[in-house]
Amino acid sequence: MAAIDPPRLAERLLERALAATPYRDDILGDLRESYDAIAADTSPARADVWYRREAARLILRYGWRSVLTETRGRDRRHSGGGHAMDRLFLDVRFALRALLKAPTTTVAIVLTLALAIGANAAVFGIVDALLLRPYAMPDVDRIVMPVTTSPHWGAMAGHRETVSPADFLDWRRRLAGGTIEQLAAIEWWNANLVGRDEAERVPGFFVSAAFFDALDARPALGRLFREEEEIPAESKRVILSDGLWKRRFGGDPAIVGRPILIDAEQWTVVGVMPAGFDFPMRSQLWAPLAFNDRTARERGFHSLTVIGRLAPGRSLDEARAQMRAINQRLAGEHPDTNRELGVEVYTLSQGMGDPGVPSVLALWQAAAMFVLLIACANIANLLLARAAEREREIGIRLALGSSRSRIVRESFVETILLVLASVPLAIAAAWAELRLMHSLMPARIARFVAGWDRLGIDAWTIAATLACAAAAALAFGVLPAWQMARRGVADALRSDGRGGTGPGRQRVRRALVVAEISLVLPLLVAGMMSVSALTQFHTSWQGYDPTGVLTLRVALTGPRYGDPEARRRFAATAIDRLAAIAGSRGVAAANVLPAIDTNARRIIEIAGQPAVDPQNRPRVDFRAASAQYFEVLGMPLLAGRPFRDSDQAASEPVAIVSAAMAQRFWPDGRAIDQRVRVADGRWLRVVGICGDVVHDWFEGRVPTLYVPLAQEPPESLAFAVRTAGNPSASVADARLAIARADPMQPAYDVMPMRQVLSDRTISLQYIAGVMGAFAGLALLLALFGLYAVMTFLVAQRVREIGVRLALGATGRDVVRMTLTQAARLTLAGVAIGTLLAIALARAMESGLLGIVSSDVRTTGILAAALGVTALVASYLPARRAAQVNPIDALRAE
Amino acid sequence: MKSVEPYLGELEQLILLVVLRLGDEAYGNPIREQLAAGAGRRIGRGALYTALERLEAKGLLRSALGEPLPERGGRARRYFTVTPTGLRALRQTRRVLLGLWSGLESKLGAV
Repeated sequence: MAAIDPPRLAERLLERALAATPYRDDILGDLRESYDAIAADTSPARADVWYRREAARLILRYGWRSVLTETRGRDRRHSGGGHAMDRLFLDVRFALRALLKAPTTTVAIVLTLALAIGANAAVFGIVDALLLRPYAMPDVDRIVMPVTTSPHWGAMAGHRETVSPADFLDWRRRLAGGTIEQLAAIEWWNANLVGRDEAERVPGFFVSAAFFDALDARPALGRLFREEEEIPAESKRVILSDGLWKRRFGGDPAIVGRPILIDAEQWTVVGVMPAGFDFPMRSQLWAPLAFNDRTARERGFHSLTVIGRLAPGRSLDEARAQMRAINQRLAGEHPDTNRELGVEVYTLSQGMGDPGVPSVLALWQAAAMFVLLIACANIANLLLARAAEREREIGIRLALGSSRSRIVRESFVETILLVLASVPLAIAAAWAELRLMHSLMPARIARFVAGWDRLGIDAWTIAATLACAAAAALAFGVLPAWQMARRGVADALRSDGRGGTGPGRQRVRRALVVAEISLVLPLLVAGMMSVSALTQFHTSWQGYDPTGVLTLRVALTGPRYGDPEARRRFAATAIDRLAAIAGSRGVAAANVLPAIDTNARRIIEIAGQPAVDPQNRPRVDFRAASAQYFEVLGMPLLAGRPFRDSDQAASEPVAIVSAAMAQRFWPDGRAIDQRVRVADGRWLRVVGICGDVVHDWFEGRVPTLYVPLAQEPPESLAFAVRTAGNPSASVADARLAIARADPMQPAYDVMPMRQVLSDRTISLQYIAGVMGAFAGLALLLALFGLYAVMTFLVAQRVREIGVRLALGATGRDVVRMTLTQAARLTLAGVAIGTLLAIALARAMESGLLGIVSSDVRTTGILAAALGVTALVASYLPARRAAQVNPIDALRAE
Repeated sequence: MKSVEPYLGELEQLILLVVLRLGDEAYGNPIREQLAAGAGRRIGRGALYTALERLEAKGLLRSALGEPLPERGGRARRYFTVTPTGLRALRQTRRVLLGLWSGLESKLGAV
């Protein structure tokens, strides 16, 4: 038999691991002998497996042992100081040994750290994905977004708005050769795609020819748009996303140049984008943005988002300056429309991001920091307690000539090891949390959150986690190290067995508990504020009954529905079809249903009430509603009559007004038979007054004008089907009903109305969820901290308690004494915490713009609850104190 | 008053007996095999060497290196022998055990 050798790497490693044992060669030799025997009996491959397994076992056994026991040998060899690396190894070994001696404490510390650092890492992961780097395009910092601003637009959105077509065209002309290149406009487009499968509504965008160049994107197949395609006659071209191409067209490369059917018209596919390109908002389809003579002059209607790329060598500030100059000239040339408009240039990330997101993330990051601080206070306390237990040992070492710096260094090495052990767990926790957050967000909303799909752990997040861990290590490591080194030798060696009960030491420990409790209260209040805001939204009065209602939407776009009569016919047919599905108890249709994410507003005029300020004419919510609208949605009719099937295009134009509208324009209560009109339209006679509904929680009851659907058939239709059972069960039937009404017309957002409502509060659900989780975690940590400290204090005072009991104190006295001590700490913590909570609540109210509100009562109740809970947590140690046997306690020394 | 003879654990006892039985052939592998075959004790290699090391440190075993052997990758075998202290410890343990066993036949039944 040819001589064979065991796996070399395994043997090498084994040699290393066995370096400490005197039998190293014997073990290796024995293994080698057995290896040969096994190789001869079976096969060399099997012997290799066997050898590796055997080596791994031995390495585990001896590697571990050498870490734990070899210290002594090395210590002797290098007692005079030695090499820096050796010293470090020594310290690490020593620290490992110390940590393993108290496994419970070590595990508690590592888990606490992992949870707290993990919370911070998760929030940072969100900040990173949503705020710092929501897009992964080449040179994304050079992509800019000029926006129009106006003092009249919402402050929440930073007064920014989309851009009018004429302004965009002027910008583009005047920027030529200037600071911004590749200026491109984007306009929302929901394409009704008809093809081999059933019709489908596809999220798409109309874009200028320069759009893809501005983003530095290249097609995977075919070509991009050309400038000559920016006129209506040439604009029936589309570029498909990779996903749409594969899903609807089987990834057929011959698709380029072929026509596809959109809104019943033929569009030619000119290209396919590579996988991963879905800007903006998970777009699946792009078409040239074309202007006709009329739209190219439109300055009053703002519909475009504009992007561009900074010209080489130009800065964002230069772009801003040039845009301001251009804007000023436009204001002079078109004072009617542009006088009050300003301009701002954002980077893409700033411009696409939701302006509400930064304050929410700031809140989360602050909350996560609070949790980390509480965790650090906890850990510092645990380490202090342990330092107290080791006081004698350290005293002896100091007496024998060990240097203080050595002892401090050891303590720091322990801290670092604890942190290092917790970081991987923290990252795993953060990853799990982010995965959960990502999966809970409905896809139809996620597409509007820039960067949502980038949620995850990347190198930046890991770096931030390490930084956070290092900060934590400093925060909780300094105190115990300082305390350890500070003690005098004589002090430490005094054998009263009460290490760590000196007044200074106790003060630190108490201060830490007070800090923990005071940090918890603000988190509890913030969590409660978010949760109660959410429940309020969900349980409060809506003005209609959303339960048991299925909603669906249809967009009647394209030339087939250019004629109002065609839209009216479709609406009537669709209502009939939907009414016929199983379980249907009534069908309503309107341009907008309550709570869906769009709205329609119109400027109105009331007969006999000329507008005081022509610039600021009254605006109301506008609804074109079908005959059974109020009945199906469960809205009360307060006066007059509902719409009837007889309210047709040719019949008298009528309207129903909401209670809020009647109240506002006819405060004397005589709205019926009064006249109102939309802008310059026909006069309508008010025939009824209906109850108010909440369309948007921020606005509450808004004056609303209802007209018969048949008299004002909208392009965008929403249907509500009241069902006998679970509305989710009727989804497929409803889709089919719409397909029967018009096979080229896809229904979308087919879902229970309850779901629509829930989706509207998704951001609040996230805020409440995260804040609630942080508050819970903080509470848990703080209670654990209080419990641990009280237990420790009781244990340290066993002798004193024994003396008291021996001198006649009752168990009840001891409980009272211990609880009084805990109560003082709790009270101090609650007092400071209340101040912090009020400050945080204020910050939340202004930061979240009225979504949440604080009240003194809630804060008071939570403070009291926290106090009681804290006392309960200290009752156990107090009971234990009362059960001390005086004889044992006195004999303990 | 401490006993002169060190206390022998069960595994230690078994190892000493196996080493005695093996005589001139008492090195790692045969010891481990004998423990498995003779006493039904399958123990890990690491545990065996640790125990041998401990027994040598206690002075119950003595070891000597043989010649380097090619089939061991040029490494020598370490042969173990039981020291007089080891023999005394074994005898002591046997005496104690026999003393404890005697008179229990009726309770334990035929052994």
